[in-house]
Amino acid sequence: MKIDGAFNAVDIAISGLKAQNKSMEAISSNVANSRTTDIGNGTPYRRVEAILKAGEGDISGVELDDIAKDMSSFTTVLAPGHPQADANGYLMMPNVDIPVEMMNLNLASRAYQANAAVLKRYQGMVNTSLELLR
Amino acid sequence: MSIDMNMINYLQAGIKAESARQSAIANNMANMQTDGYRKFDVKFAEAFARAVEDGSDFDPQEMEAEFFQPKSGPINEFGNDVNLHAEVGEMVKNSLRHKAFVRILKKTYDQYDLAIQTP
Repeated sequence: MKIDGAFNAVDIAISGLKAQNKSMEAISSNVANSRTTDIGNGTPYRRVEAILKAGEGDISGVELDDIAKDMSSFTTVLAPGHPQADANGYLMMPNVDIPVEMMNLNLASRAYQANAAVLKRYQGMVNTSLELLR
Repeated sequence: MSIDMNMINYLQAGIKAESARQSAIANNMANMQTDGYRKFDVKFAEAFARAVEDGSDFDPQEMEAEFFQPKSGPINEFGNDVNLHAEVGEMVKNSLRHKAFVRILKKTYDQYDLAIQTP
């Protein structure tokens, strides 16, 4: 990402907000699809995770690297009455673990708040400098 | 034209550019969910720096902030490229710049005041 010089800290904090927003989207997709047994091709929903990476240069923002699929195995539950259950009565469920998602949700929203706090504090810092011109 | 007058003109041109950018940001935010909308930005610093570098007599008052559409950002589900976070960041930077310009302008006027009041 391009950092424009004068207010670097603002751009970096905003890149953090954007990145955490993406994490939040991934988590929200996981939670919404935590019981989706068929995504159209007979397999259950596969959990996704937003992979973040640092931008170029020593001081840089963060950017989204990839939305990666979690390749861990699906869970199976016994649900003989379910129309999609196999011959033995087992049903494949998504590899989404709600408690884990809740934990990630906490992390994402705290990180978002932290970025917003940095932005606010930086604004305060510049305002302090501008007070000197009064 | 004296250096001081030049400075006031520069600052005024800067403040005008900030207010143009502010309206671009407001427009972008208002069209956040408009199908196919492409965001606006203001090109000012580059043109201004070039004019100053040339050193020729130019009137900062005449310099119009130029609206343009960068057409580079990722497209969202509405087919437009407005990102709320990016706009908020632009707004923060814009208001800080605006404040800086206004403070410097006031400081400059204060100097005139001082000169007038001195017996």
